[in-house]
Amino acid sequence: MTPDQIEKYVDAAAAALDLNLAPGHRPGVLENFTRLAQLAALVNEFPLAPEDEPAPLWKPGA
Amino acid sequence: MNTLDALGTAAAIRAGRLSALEAAQAALKAIDTLDGRVNAFTAVTRERALTEAKAIDTARAAGHDLPPLAGVPYAAKNLFDIAGLTTVAGSKINRENPPAKDDSALVARMRGAGAVLVGALNMDEYAFGFTTENAHYGTARNPHDLTRIAGGSSGGSGAAVAAGMVPLSLGTDTNGSIRVPSSLCGIFGIKPTYGRLSRRGSYPFTCSLDHVGPFARSVADLAATYDALQGQDTGDYAQARRAMEPTRQLLKDGLGSLRVAVAGGYFKENAGPQALAAVEAVARALNVSREVILPEAQRARAAGFVITASEGSNLHLPDLRKRPDDFDPAIRDRFLANALTPVQWYMQAQRFRLWFFQAVMRVFADTDVIIAPATPVPATVIGADTFELNGRQMPARPSMGVLTQPLSFIGLPIVAVPVHGLGPLPIGVQVIARPWREADALRVAAALEYAGVASAPVAPL
Repeated sequence: MTPDQIEKYVDAAAAALDLNLAPGHRPGVLENFTRLAQLAALVNEFPLAPEDEPAPLWKPGA
Repeated sequence: MNTLDALGTAAAIRAGRLSALEAAQAALKAIDTLDGRVNAFTAVTRERALTEAKAIDTARAAGHDLPPLAGVPYAAKNLFDIAGLTTVAGSKINRENPPAKDDSALVARMRGAGAVLVGALNMDEYAFGFTTENAHYGTARNPHDLTRIAGGSSGGSGAAVAAGMVPLSLGTDTNGSIRVPSSLCGIFGIKPTYGRLSRRGSYPFTCSLDHVGPFARSVADLAATYDALQGQDTGDYAQARRAMEPTRQLLKDGLGSLRVAVAGGYFKENAGPQALAAVEAVARALNVSREVILPEAQRARAAGFVITASEGSNLHLPDLRKRPDDFDPAIRDRFLANALTPVQWYMQAQRFRLWFFQAVMRVFADTDVIIAPATPVPATVIGADTFELNGRQMPARPSMGVLTQPLSFIGLPIVAVPVHGLGPLPIGVQVIARPWREADALRVAAALEYAGVASAPVAPL
């Protein structure tokens, strides 16, 4: 994500979640979201097959 | 007195050389004397300690068999429910909650084993950090150098044991929060297999990754405590239905035919000189030269980060909306940012988790135990924003867990083993076993202790 994409996404997602980002918090949020996006990119670019299912497993009644 | 280990204390009480009351009073006195400088404790449960200790002495006087940790003082990270105390989980917000009605599963198990609770321990707010620099409760200081961090998030648990205030403590580990303080404070700790021990009554952080476990200054103490903590409990959905698998009696088996290897690649690239020296010392003592690669460990760390971000912030979203300024400023903006994690990132991380687990299990096909450094560097100075790692500046708070995070990500059982004497401060090594094979990791840790490579001396204060 580019810095511009991050700013737009952070503001839109915060609004959608009714999470009011105070002006004093926003720079730190952008910085932390940038780091998170960089790490997430490492995971997202890794090719997975359809049979690579999510790890959590529901165990009804177990 | 404050250098006595847990099993030594229990043996002295059983033999009548020491009363449980004397042991409790000695621990309380050590806390009074030392904790002003260390700041490991956020509450001292003096009355409870004296009551529990007297009950042990009464049972002995009546000729009853004493349980394995009878009269041994211990303390618990302040996210474990302690009946009658509010579970603050390192936060200001949770102070508003009513006192816990019951003990958490692990505190109840310790009570059942005869151990005597002397207090609750400092931690990063909501377990989100590796430094225990807590804005509400102050910094837990490293007993080996009071200008440095004890690690986190179970920093009080590491510091209290390293300082000799208690021989045992309880903590939690989501991404490294038992292994990091063990490494920085130079003590032993075990993060059991995900799902092994009940988390009932422990304040959650990241359900997919949260583990609970003990700290100690010897492998025998650690194994005895881990054994006492095992057992089924209906209050934790993630707990696996498994029979007790005691480990303490297996320590004397030594290495036997265990096949040990050292983790290369990512685990060497992210280790500083002292961490590498500790791994070398351990490998030499075990006569191990074979190296294995855990594929895509860097992505595993990243995926653990994404899952933590998603689940941790979801838990606190109502408070993040209503009262963000009541969070520790050091983590508030991270929590706010994490609340915005797209679900696609989270799902990919959960799918990658299974992929990585299967890849690591292929490494375990011809290996029983893997050795890796526990932290990139020894304890950093309190307040440091960054530390240097092989020429790179790393952000201090999230980076102390780069070597632990890929492994808790898939729930492997790991013993953190302290190595002293390679520099002014200790550093730890991770002894990693297959799922449900805690005993293998503990046997290797015991062999290292026997060889004199691993030890956990009380810090001189």
